[in-house]
Amino acid sequence: MSIINSFLDTMAALARDSGFAGFMADGGWKNIVMILISFVFMYLAIAKGFEPLLLLPISFGMLLTNLPGADLYHPDFWNYKTVGDNDHYIDYGQILQHGGLLDILYMGVKLQIYPPLIFLGIGAMTDFGPLIASPKSFLMGAAAQGGIFFTFIGAALFGMSAAECGSIAIIGGADGPTSIYVSSKLLTDKSTIGVGTIALAAYTYMALVPIIQPPIMRALTTKAERSVVMGQLRPVSKTEKLIFPILVTIIISLMVPSAAPLVGMLMFGNLLKESGCCDRLVKTAQNELMNIITIFLGVTVGATTQADKIMNLQFAEVMGLGVVAFSIGTACGVLLGKLMYIVSGKKINPLIGSAGVSAVPMAARVSQKVGQEEVPTNYLLMHAMGPNVAGVIGSAVAAGVLLAIVK
Amino acid sequence: MQDLLSSLVTVATIDPNKKDLDAGTVSSVVITGIVVVFIGLILLIVSVSIYGALFSAAAKKKAKKEQEVQNASNNSENLPKPAPAPVPAPAADPVIEDGIEEETVAVIMAAIACMSASGGKKLVLKSVKTSKPQRSAWSSAGIVENTRPF
Repeated sequence: MSIINSFLDTMAALARDSGFAGFMADGGWKNIVMILISFVFMYLAIAKGFEPLLLLPISFGMLLTNLPGADLYHPDFWNYKTVGDNDHYIDYGQILQHGGLLDILYMGVKLQIYPPLIFLGIGAMTDFGPLIASPKSFLMGAAAQGGIFFTFIGAALFGMSAAECGSIAIIGGADGPTSIYVSSKLLTDKSTIGVGTIALAAYTYMALVPIIQPPIMRALTTKAERSVVMGQLRPVSKTEKLIFPILVTIIISLMVPSAAPLVGMLMFGNLLKESGCCDRLVKTAQNELMNIITIFLGVTVGATTQADKIMNLQFAEVMGLGVVAFSIGTACGVLLGKLMYIVSGKKINPLIGSAGVSAVPMAARVSQKVGQEEVPTNYLLMHAMGPNVAGVIGSAVAAGVLLAIVK
Repeated sequence: MQDLLSSLVTVATIDPNKKDLDAGTVSSVVITGIVVVFIGLILLIVSVSIYGALFSAAAKKKAKKEQEVQNASNNSENLPKPAPAPVPAPAADPVIEDGIEEETVAVIMAAIACMSASGGKKLVLKSVKTSKPQRSAWSSAGIVENTRPF
């Protein structure tokens, strides 16, 4: 009889400790809702192809973190400990000692390791030739960052904190790693939104670039402007391509030191590619390293999407302001393109301005597609790649400015 | 207006947790951000344009020089030509080992013709025979893989 009692007690204890019991506990229903939301994002990634390389790991991280009792991620470990009046720190010793798998991996996000390494891979895959051939493209890359700063105003109007305003605004840069980099550095435990929320909004809207951008591009341009056929770009020598990453690193890092980790790694990756003597390193940066970091980044950022950070009004505000940021960025790029159309004597197609939001190479493809709707033989892709890669540099600079101001 | 201008000047950094940001603070972030991004990228435009112009000028100079050399050689072709050199005797047919198909020989000859066209030399195929590999393909691949880093 005692054996049966013991067996029943053990089974009852196991049931009490199980995740199923966690769902029944106070607030457990929120975890169920979050798991269902993770399924929606998995569906968008797998069936609809919405940035699957990042949205799928993010959604699976969201699933893992909302399984009661799994203890893979502990949000309370990431609360800042206050020291004195002005200083605060995260207790990494506690995380290493008691943290779960995703806590350990999330250190790479919180310590700003993963986004710069992703930038290394992006640099190793990017050809800056179109930008070097047409340096004026930088202007459109700069203008498209207007979305970041104008959205800052919108977020402030909602009464959000400076950290939240900066994190939401950077979504307008249309650059996932930069958004994660800035938000992980700015957001504190007092923030009502998390890094995962920002990442979800950024990657969702990046996937929706072909839907968001074309109506804005058509609304702001005339048929004559969209029909401009641009001439061929000049060929760029290997030496020019070699000088470019070194030059950009020096100028931007000296000007905005807080942008150095992103711009420095982006340009280091590009220098490796253009040097032609480091094939093995380039292959690693482009493939294995990039893939490993993408998995770590995605799944850990997904783990930060806890119910209390998603199921609130702020999440809706983030999503709303995110699309505003994207739209303003696109509009600013196109408007500067229109200005350049006039100044250049109708030689520049303003559609390439919308590619100034990063989202490489999707935004450039959109410029090409909208241009071909007017003139089917018009190939704007290479011209649009100039503002597109300039946008990557521009959003890194904008991130540096935000980090320099909000601290 | 005075308050706005004074906050524009004084706001250097903002506490991340500060809520309800005033108009001056928000304006300072927006103006600073846009100005710094534009200055940074305009600096890059100037730098890239300068060295781009230098390299383009160098490339044009090189192309002009090559054009002059080309023109000079064209002119020399128009001068009275010396007596033609004796025509070399046609090369003997290559010795083809039994079992090697004509297509294989044709591919080898095409590759040689392609190489000689770019090198300016006339190469002749004298024989085609099956070589006996001293190592297996797997062994060769292993050696290549292991010695690649050096």
